[in-house]
Amino acid sequence: MNGQTDAREKRDTFWRRLRLRLTADEMFHETEVQANRLGALTLLCSGILLVLLLILTAAGVFLLPLSSVFPPFIQAIVEVLILLIVCRAVKYDAWWLKHLLMLGLVIVYARLDSVLTHKAAILMVIPVVLSSRYFSRRLTVFTSLVTTVVFACSAAWGATHGMININIVTAPAGTEIIATGGFLGEAVQKISDDRMLTINTMLYDYFPRWLMFSIVSVISCNIARRGRDMVTSQHEKDVKTARIKSELDLATRIQADMLPNIYPAFPDRREFDIYAAMDPAKEVGGDFYDFFLIDDDHLCMVMADVSGKGVPAALFMMASKIILANNAMAGKSPAQILTAANAAVCAHNREEMFVTVWLGILEISTGKLTAANAGHEYPILKHADGAYELIKDKHGFVIGGMDGVRYGEYELTLEPGAALFLYTDGVPEATDAEGAMFGTERLLAALNAAPAAAPDAVLQNVRAAVDDFVKGAEQFDDLTMLAFKYMGAARENTI
Amino acid sequence: MTINKTKNGGALTIAPAGRLDTLTAPELEKELQTSLPGVTELTFDLSALEYISSAGLRVLLSAQKAMNARGKMIVRGVNETVMEIFEVTGFADILTIE
Repeated sequence: MNGQTDAREKRDTFWRRLRLRLTADEMFHETEVQANRLGALTLLCSGILLVLLLILTAAGVFLLPLSSVFPPFIQAIVEVLILLIVCRAVKYDAWWLKHLLMLGLVIVYARLDSVLTHKAAILMVIPVVLSSRYFSRRLTVFTSLVTTVVFACSAAWGATHGMININIVTAPAGTEIIATGGFLGEAVQKISDDRMLTINTMLYDYFPRWLMFSIVSVISCNIARRGRDMVTSQHEKDVKTARIKSELDLATRIQADMLPNIYPAFPDRREFDIYAAMDPAKEVGGDFYDFFLIDDDHLCMVMADVSGKGVPAALFMMASKIILANNAMAGKSPAQILTAANAAVCAHNREEMFVTVWLGILEISTGKLTAANAGHEYPILKHADGAYELIKDKHGFVIGGMDGVRYGEYELTLEPGAALFLYTDGVPEATDAEGAMFGTERLLAALNAAPAAAPDAVLQNVRAAVDDFVKGAEQFDDLTMLAFKYMGAARENTI
Repeated sequence: MTINKTKNGGALTIAPAGRLDTLTAPELEKELQTSLPGVTELTFDLSALEYISSAGLRVLLSAQKAMNARGKMIVRGVNETVMEIFEVTGFADILTIE
């Protein structure tokens, strides 16, 4: 009882090991299924050809007796049908199918070869050429060996049963051949003995053919190996690309999470309303906005754009954002913040990256806005009873550009109902298919089309106007905007 | 973008034409790296430049810093669009624009 179970277990592991050994790696699975389909197609074509040959023979075109062709051809056709049914049944996807197909093809062709002999010499190479499509040298070697053995048998059998090759028939001097009508081979067959035919066929027919076949085998092995290398290196590249993609996806989320992005941002503050959005052109971008309360009465707003795009810009952006916020939280004025940030950035900036920054601090109780601009786009302001217009403010040099730059600042007063719109150059420089830029005039027009809109609506309006302008043309720059509306000090609003 | 350059002893004139942006700036940066050694007077002729992005500005800034150490750099032929970008970014203050 126990012995039986052991034997069974042993058999199980043998089969499992064999299966494991013959199953292709995951990356070759698709290749194998495709190759199986090609094998089935080859079988189908062979089957059609066999039927055609059979009909032509029956019609008397080939001058062969149907009785000599009928049994082997029918046998081959049945084999083809069985193999095709198996292929369909397993949907071309089984770990043993490739071996079965190669073996089946070799046997089908060998059966034909045994009848047609030297006329169908080329059939010998088909299975081995097809096997190279599996990109498995082992399978090609297997097919070569099987072909060598099976075709040797078929050649030996065909020497006495198939069509005779009169060029290799040897006869003693003075032998007379009497033609009886039909093929010359039939007349020749009468004078030859079986042993001589078999030896001559193997030596003069099969052996040279096998030498040529071995060259095709070597080439097929090489194709299989090269194919395998190509699939492997492509797979490695795919894995690498997928890893970079997943890392970039995570980086995109980290970057987005670094910016305040839950709205309303300050649900308990009724004095102002603020919304912002960043759409990087690549996975990660160099633009950023920021806003935070320094204390109960001071709101800091930042809009910035790092030179360049993608990962380098994103890394620089993260550092810049933190430096600016830290300096702002230390209670400095906008000009002092920019001056300190410039010094900090310049200290470690061998790649000479820079960032343009507009930074403003609003005194919430009075509406007094103090701002400084380091090479950034002009902010857009709407006074309570006016239209949105550009503020051509005083510009300092970009941050990180040159050590020791000092920045100036300026003051504006926001009255209740005033609104502020900040953006990066991705907005005015959004480009349509003809290369025309959106421009600040279209931006102002879009803002002034709905001057009383709430900040979230302002962002949607501008985005819609930009999308409408570019009409789907691919954009190469990040698109970042911030809309702010001032409602006035708390006590005026709590009535 | 195409880059035309004329070298006359220690004087090098570089005239980029077209758009100088993220895609084309590395080309100019490479060009500068190879031809800048030994140059004491660098002139950028921007008369055929249609647009410059921040990546292009970065290359100009690098060139300016490199030339500060061993000669001078002049920018000429600046059109209105590019001049506006120079003014907004503060580059107008650090470049010698003729």
